[in-house]
Amino acid sequence: MVITGRVPLLLLLGLLPVVLRPEASTVRLWLLVVAVLVAADLLLAPTVRSLAVQRRPIGAVRMGYDTESVLVLENAGRRHLRGVVRDAWQPTAGATGNRHRVSLSPGDRVLLRTPLRPRRRGDLRAVGVTARLRGPLGLCARQKTLDVAGTVRSLPPFESRKHLPSRLARLRELDGRAAVRVRGQGTEFDSLREYVRGDDVRSIDWRASARNRNVVVRTWQPERDRRVVLVLDTSRTSAGRVEDVPRLDSAMDAALLLAALAARAGDRIDFVAGDRRVRARLRSRGARDVAASLQDTMADLEPVIAEADWSALAGAVTQFGRQRALVVLLTPLEPSAVEEGLLPVLPSLTRHHRVVLASVRDPELERLAATRGTIDEVYDAAAAEQAMVRRRRTAELLRAVGLDVVDADAERLPPALADHYLTLKANGLL
Amino acid sequence: MTTTTATTPDRPVAPAAQPGLLRRHRSTVLIGLALVAAVAVAIVLGTGTQTSTPMDPDNPGPAGTRALARVLGDEGVDVQVVRDADALADAGVDAATSVVVVLPEYLGTSTIERLRDDTAGAHTVVVVGAGPGVADALGAPGGGASIQLGDGRAARCDDPRFDDLSLEVDWTLTYPDGECYGGKGGAVVDQQDDGLLLFGADQALTNEQVLRADNAAVALRLLGQDERLVWYVPSLDDLTGDDGVSLQSLLPRWVRPGLALLAVVMVTVILWRGRRLGALATEPLPVVVRAVETTRSLGRLYRRSGDREHAAEALRRAARARLAERLRLGSTTPPDVLAREVARRSGRTEADVVAVLGPAGVVPSSDRDLITLARELAELDREVRRA
Repeated sequence: MVITGRVPLLLLLGLLPVVLRPEASTVRLWLLVVAVLVAADLLLAPTVRSLAVQRRPIGAVRMGYDTESVLVLENAGRRHLRGVVRDAWQPTAGATGNRHRVSLSPGDRVLLRTPLRPRRRGDLRAVGVTARLRGPLGLCARQKTLDVAGTVRSLPPFESRKHLPSRLARLRELDGRAAVRVRGQGTEFDSLREYVRGDDVRSIDWRASARNRNVVVRTWQPERDRRVVLVLDTSRTSAGRVEDVPRLDSAMDAALLLAALAARAGDRIDFVAGDRRVRARLRSRGARDVAASLQDTMADLEPVIAEADWSALAGAVTQFGRQRALVVLLTPLEPSAVEEGLLPVLPSLTRHHRVVLASVRDPELERLAATRGTIDEVYDAAAAEQAMVRRRRTAELLRAVGLDVVDADAERLPPALADHYLTLKANGLL
Repeated sequence: MTTTTATTPDRPVAPAAQPGLLRRHRSTVLIGLALVAAVAVAIVLGTGTQTSTPMDPDNPGPAGTRALARVLGDEGVDVQVVRDADALADAGVDAATSVVVVLPEYLGTSTIERLRDDTAGAHTVVVVGAGPGVADALGAPGGGASIQLGDGRAARCDDPRFDDLSLEVDWTLTYPDGECYGGKGGAVVDQQDDGLLLFGADQALTNEQVLRADNAAVALRLLGQDERLVWYVPSLDDLTGDDGVSLQSLLPRWVRPGLALLAVVMVTVILWRGRRLGALATEPLPVVVRAVETTRSLGRLYRRSGDREHAAEALRRAARARLAERLRLGSTTPPDVLAREVARRSGRTEADVVAVLGPAGVVPSSDRDLITLARELAELDREVRRA
């Protein structure tokens, strides 16, 4: 039971009889009158059970973009319903204007639209639908919270897609479509065509030219149908925030750009994410919208406070097939975690695959090392220098084992990784 | 002999000490005694004939009425001052006596009743300055409103006592049913049937304002009607617990039940506003770890243990690695080769560079030295970069 603002107003009206007849009994009598009215109104108020509530599925939306949740309300009772309905969501779902006034005749239906703007990645849940139905006098209301399940899947924002056009242009330069062609070790025979000035004379096919009136050159194209395996580390080191963004989110951004690029280049993308165990896995069959399905898979991944089990993750990589692949490890270059967890399992990966480690660098570390004003800052600078030396040594160690290390700021990691991929592709190293 | 010789040297010693003590402090003792006497005299005198109570005939201050009381006494009126209800009862008021009551706000229901009883035989009872409430209790309902009377006011009634006399005071109380000194806001004087007279201009009796206009004449005629005048200054001590002209009797009767109703209204407002529309929406909070957190805690650890040696070595090693990279010497360059190259580039002497860069450099002995070293390393880096 809930009282409305009319109850105090009605009570206040009682000042009039009190002034006319200034006795304590007047007050008591007035309170009794109001109490009787409230009780009668409560008895006549419709129950929340007579309201049938359904939620339409919402689906997925990129983080920071608008969507809406639609509730279908039906008056299943025999009385007119009047009141307020609140569609509550967890705060980061960004549900604004989620209180709706309703007035429903028996059998009526109404759609309530609550705008949502997710501010956090993952599955964001509805908390409950609270209905407050007033009595005929509007003095009090019955209130109840109904559990109407609902989730909106907030996808990784894929901020780095702005880099995609420029990288696709570079990919086309590698491809047979552009005039400039690079003949490399890992290129495949594409077709024969007439020689034009500027072509590499080494690519003239003399045997074909002999049969033809013109000089004919062979054209080449970059390798296709290679495999790219993205390994996303969701362990404790990925929870660390760089400029208030978790490293995991920056790594996802880089993975999405690489996946989108590789899909256009005709490669197959496999994805595995995990920490102590494998959390998510995705096999794409060369679909062009691999970025979308990858976003969906990544949506509800969260950092876990546990050490990564790299042998389990390496096992997941081998399960995708024994064909040679480009394995991209998206994990922070954290000396202790890398040396103890990753290093022992690397040989099994490097034996079959080309392995790249993509790490989010923290610019705060360099700032810390450069600030030397007070004694506290000097000690911090010493610690930062120590950390950077260890990082560099770990990176050298990894390079010695045969890994490529891409270490860049959160903002610059996705294009850097994409460029590295293009370089490998151009040189036929996949 | 031996006993007398043994005791005689002692005897002068002990008595000599006591007169010495008194003599030495005689002036102090005298001053102390004089002070005590003065205070006692002051208290006796002060309490005996003077008071600071307003309207009291023993108060010589601006708010007192000693001037009027003295003048009345000189004119042959026997002024008797009573300061509580019992004294009033013992005063023996009769038909040849006037009673003047000042400070009527100190009167309560019970003391007003006793006043009426004790002064039933009096020739006149003048109540000076009866405010709202008291005026009601004394038979002048609605009286006691306060107005300004700085411009003076003429009597304008046929009472011979106020013949042609005008009153002039800063503030006065008025009574709607009165006749004399009537005007805007009511009359200053309200003569009741039973010899009771309400006089609103209490300031006209005070030492300060008694000489304005004809105030003195009005006061003398009013209080000097009979040979004997009983001056009653009521005391709050006479009030019994449950009576008194309380605030409650001055307020409208509906205030108390109205307040009770308002309290209930407040409770309902709280209930109305305090009820939430459904439970609070909660958020499963993410883990917030700053990536540099471990580095910072390592720094704190250095600081707490004051490990200048390690800190200095870390800074120097990093500087060496950075300089080697900048000079393209490779990470395995021996330190002396590096120092020579750095000295050549920066224009410093080699010994100077070695002292800063190490590895054989001096371990800083204080925090200040460590800060200086850190800054010098940064400076060296800048110099090499510029060269």
